Amino acid sequence: MTYSSLLFIYMFFPLSLLLYLIAPKKVKDGVLYAESLVFCGFMGLRIVAFMVVFCLVNYLAGLALYCISPKLKSIPLAAGVLYDVLMLISFRSSYFSYLHGFTGIPQAVFPVGISLYTLSAIGYLADIYKGNSKCDKNFIRFSLYIMMFPRLIMGTIVDYDTFVHILRHRRYNMNEIGRGLVSFTKGLAKKVLIADALYEFNSAVKNIPLSELSAAGAWLGIAAYILCLYFTLSGFSDMSCGLCRCFGMKFSNSFNHPLFVRKVRIFVSGWHIQVLHWFRKYIISPVSSKFDNPYVSKLVFVAVWILTGIWYDFSSGAALWGMLIGLAVIIENMLNNHKPFRPNGIIYTMLSITLMTVFLSQGSISKGAQYIAVMFGGNGNLADSAAAYMLKYYIVIILIAVYASTDLFRNTAARIKNSRFSGVLTVLTPVSSAVLLILCTALMSFIGQSSTMIIQL
Amino acid sequence: MKLAEKITAFSIMLIITAASVAAVINGGAGNGFSQISLKNLADGGFCHVLSESFAAEFPFGKQLRSVAAEIGTKSGEPVVNGVYISEERMLSLNEYRLSAADNCAEVVNAYSADFEGAVYFTAVPTSTGIYGDSLPSYFLSVTEKQITERIHGSLDVNIRRIDAYTILKNLSDNYIYYRSDTKWTSYGAYCVYRTVAQKLGFIPVPYDKYSIRHVTDDYYGNLFTRTGYMESRADIIDIYDYNDGTEIVSCTGVDSHGIEHDINLYDVSAVESDNPYNLYLGEKMDYIEISTSVNNEKSLLVIGDETADCFIPFLTKHYSKISFVSADNYKNIIDKYTDKSRYEQTLFILGIDHISGKYRGE
Repeated sequence: MTYSSLLFIYMFFPLSLLLYLIAPKKVKDGVLYAESLVFCGFMGLRIVAFMVVFCLVNYLAGLALYCISPKLKSIPLAAGVLYDVLMLISFRSSYFSYLHGFTGIPQAVFPVGISLYTLSAIGYLADIYKGNSKCDKNFIRFSLYIMMFPRLIMGTIVDYDTFVHILRHRRYNMNEIGRGLVSFTKGLAKKVLIADALYEFNSAVKNIPLSELSAAGAWLGIAAYILCLYFTLSGFSDMSCGLCRCFGMKFSNSFNHPLFVRKVRIFVSGWHIQVLHWFRKYIISPVSSKFDNPYVSKLVFVAVWILTGIWYDFSSGAALWGMLIGLAVIIENMLNNHKPFRPNGIIYTMLSITLMTVFLSQGSISKGAQYIAVMFGGNGNLADSAAAYMLKYYIVIILIAVYASTDLFRNTAARIKNSRFSGVLTVLTPVSSAVLLILCTALMSFIGQSSTMIIQL
Repeated sequence: MKLAEKITAFSIMLIITAASVAAVINGGAGNGFSQISLKNLADGGFCHVLSESFAAEFPFGKQLRSVAAEIGTKSGEPVVNGVYISEERMLSLNEYRLSAADNCAEVVNAYSADFEGAVYFTAVPTSTGIYGDSLPSYFLSVTEKQITERIHGSLDVNIRRIDAYTILKNLSDNYIYYRSDTKWTSYGAYCVYRTVAQKLGFIPVPYDKYSIRHVTDDYYGNLFTRTGYMESRADIIDIYDYNDGTEIVSCTGVDSHGIEHDINLYDVSAVESDNPYNLYLGEKMDYIEISTSVNNEKSLLVIGDETADCFIPFLTKHYSKISFVSADNYKNIIDKYTDKSRYEQTLFILGIDHISGKYRGE
């Protein structure tokens, strides 16, 4: 079950919210944990078993780190991190597919969100190891950190202390639920109305053999991929934040309109913010601090970006995507410091991001290189009827996607809010949320859900 | 803004609550729950079943699907729920694999090796197979023509092939396929029947001998159901009658639960039901046995799917006995209800969508 399904929106969510709100304060965590188990149960009982074991292993590793003598601390840390990474690799890559047999979970079954909660778990163990955080003896609270259902699918990554702080300062009122529902419907609309249409568009381009693809078709295909990736990830992030808010918890959004910006480093600072923050906090900073050499720091930076690429997709193309972004940020910083020229401009950033993302979308370096060649007319075919056909049918959704990915709408709303017409928002907010919910419901009414995913995290 | 948030919370929760209560009253996910097994509970498959069942019973489902179809056709390619919508007709966008053709041919070859009489095979294309040329090439990586050719190329030499694809393709300007359904019309079936009858050793009944009844001009087929596209055009369902004195002596069917039913070649009352296509041979049966007053002692075993429903009535003029066996589980059904050695001829008549689904493999 995903957030973008009728069963979740119209059955699981209202029931779980009602149960949670009427539950006495003392048992709210227990109720939320039970609901999260049921939510995972919709993905299969094997997934429930996996999640419980995953939580238990990390919980025990945390306890061991806390109790064991400082000299032996690295043992439970290494064991816990190894287990987490092994689980991540076994589910995310095909290289370790035999582990599916070992865990008894079929290949088709995927524990949604594993990429994110694995980072959370590793971060938790690392914080205890470094003494930045105390181990939590409350298993239910710890399990909520890993598998709380409103945060499970592409939710915000925070460190454990921040999570506990948010958990302790929950606020339950209609305003919070209202804000949460606005965020949820916005995310749902991003996924169902925009990302799904772009997914179809991208699939249409992918169905054309590369040798027959025109340059225009290739540019359209990669544009659809980037926009689809953004709207899928940020859509789920918004839905997750909205759900958390309905349950009284306020988490930050993971995306801050990163696409149409003037520099690659601004793109980086607005893209999957907490994930990149995690890599910075747990890998770049500790490793860089060991070396005083700026070149080593840059090397570490690029290496971590390669790791980030692999985190998105276990492929050589994704690794190259990460490396290129890392290099672009370093080059931009160097040029900026010496100011020989200012490589700014939305076109420069979009062009760079587009070319780099080709490798992520194609999965392998060789395919990515071939695709880029096609983009520049390598097939001797600049435009064809297929590209014209696709442009004709998808131009509306592309324009909507481009507009929605900028901060223009947010800024306009902010201006209205601060003007004498702020009353308009009082009417517009509930009406637009209700309309978006109904439209998304309509689009999901065929099979009951919107399950297409351009990337599985 | 606090007022806006309160109103939003109230209005959205009201929509959600009202819809969920209505869905529960409609039956909700009840059908889905009845299909839960230990296996699909373990691997999460039940969630899909539950989700589809919930969607099917969702309040205002038809209206919502209609809205979705409108959005789908206006905001992007005219593709809704895997159906391409053009001004003329709707076409199902099926993903085919050539391995399905190989697997199907293997099954027919195995049957033929174990059958003493003559085996005939025809693969009936869907409307996409005949009219798919108008689609952008990237929609159909494997065409129905390729599937047909692949099966024909893989069948044993003693199996007689009937190339329904070429027959229908040459007649594509005629009303041989419904606009809102994947299946052929009675006229499409008749066109193929002419060739089939000749191959089976009979002279086909000429077209002008039939009196044609328009049973309904308000038929919306399976593609309409899938899309809910309200602007689609209704279809006409015809019945072909030929009064040459031949009568149907008996027509009985056995359903999947083993219960026997008396059925009619044409059940006109079905036109008013949820599935008007049940007009031909009624509800889905595992086995149907038709006895006619034709005095030639000839018998035919037809192994087929829904495609055969409107085709079989044409054959009743030539055989004293026709048995229809559902291709879904034909081996068990034959063992249970009949004996294939009693037939001189076996005709496989399978829709290409059925072949693709059943023999897909990996």
